[in-house]
Amino acid sequence: MALPPALRGSVTPQELEMIASQQVIEIIPLIAMEKTAFISGAYGPLRPPNKSKIPLWMAVNLKQKKKCHIVPPRWLNVEFLQGRLDLENSDSRAFCELPFRFAEIAKVIIDIASDDLENPDQIRSLLKDLREARQAKCRAGLGQIDHSELSLSNLGSMEINEIRPVFVQSMNILSKLARSNTLEA
Amino acid sequence: MSNWGREYENRSGFFNDALDVGQGPANPPRQAGFNLDEDIDVAMQPAGAVAPPRRLVENTEEVEQTPLQTMIRHWMNERHSPDILPAQEALLAGLLDHLRSQTRNIQILRDDPRTSESEHIRIMLVQTEIERVKFLIRSYIRTRLYKIERYARFITTNADIQTRLTASEREHASRHAKITDQHLFLSVLQSLPESQAHLDDTPVFYPSMVTQPDKTRPVFVHALQDCPPVALPDGTRLQMNKGHISLTPYHVVEHLVARGEAELV
Repeated sequence: MALPPALRGSVTPQELEMIASQQVIEIIPLIAMEKTAFISGAYGPLRPPNKSKIPLWMAVNLKQKKKCHIVPPRWLNVEFLQGRLDLENSDSRAFCELPFRFAEIAKVIIDIASDDLENPDQIRSLLKDLREARQAKCRAGLGQIDHSELSLSNLGSMEINEIRPVFVQSMNILSKLARSNTLEA
Repeated sequence: MSNWGREYENRSGFFNDALDVGQGPANPPRQAGFNLDEDIDVAMQPAGAVAPPRRLVENTEEVEQTPLQTMIRHWMNERHSPDILPAQEALLAGLLDHLRSQTRNIQILRDDPRTSESEHIRIMLVQTEIERVKFLIRSYIRTRLYKIERYARFITTNADIQTRLTASEREHASRHAKITDQHLFLSVLQSLPESQAHLDDTPVFYPSMVTQPDKTRPVFVHALQDCPPVALPDGTRLQMNKGHISLTPYHVVEHLVARGEAELV
């Protein structure tokens, strides 16, 4: 078939990671490269040791060949994430503000460039705590679902993808019940 | 395979032929200081794909609206939407042209023995990007194709949905519907009594036999800008400000997605 069944209901985490990898990130190059035109725009020139901005996928590629250091985004450090975790725990309903694709970007950087991060282990455990706190709120949100709308502002794309199957189906069933109610009334 | 996919293959085939011509006397031999960007810029011009003006990225969450980013948005919308969205022919043609010119450029560079070590990195990066863009375009087309085959019968009877398809997609839909009908008729329906041999009955209390897009399916919608209020099924109104994320039935936000004021995530 044109689209494998596994891809029909939702997108895969790998696809989300691919989309997130299109975002521009700062690097410290270890090789020189002239300004080059890509389909997504022109990047470069790379002049060590000056910082430069390139898409994440390109940074990953260069990093794996040990040709650059990745400068972590301003939100990927212990201090910022600890602040967000405190914020997340202080409000029992709303989600705190994080970059929309934080989960994908953080995963990619921790996976391939943990040596460019300060305290990668602590960052990892903070991200895990954040995830758990937000997941608990998501589950609580399932109780408030009705047939017309549920606001989930500040939820990340990966988190949406995770709750999609259950939430979509729950709302679908509620819509059907609401419709049959109005038919009977 | 879709016609777009076929066109894509054709184009790359055409493009390989064009390469031989390109290396003839019409194109002067590459000079030592050959510049990939200039060449690409020149190659870009006749394609007519005008990139929107670039703006500086202040916030990492603000992504520039390059043709590629726009395409990614349409790809995701198409994946999440239960309905078939308008075909993005111009955007797709621009990207395919861009892919072709990038492929030609790296081919020229790769064939040249004078290409230096540092250029190999550039070639590798450009090549990687080409593969990424190809994947995305394929996935976009396959998603449309899946929906077209699924709703083929509905498409042949609905004028509104036809306006959202390309000519080749319309043709594929009617062919697919015809072949399926024929197959069902020959294998089963012809041996059934006349009253049960139809494929488009609309019995009361049962869903229609013709599969239609289910616009009541909930979707996750992300407002890209402040949107005008929308009417929810329970009668209330919802005002979505920029950045707002909601789970709501598709028909509620259909027009916002069509106008590009919101995206599906």
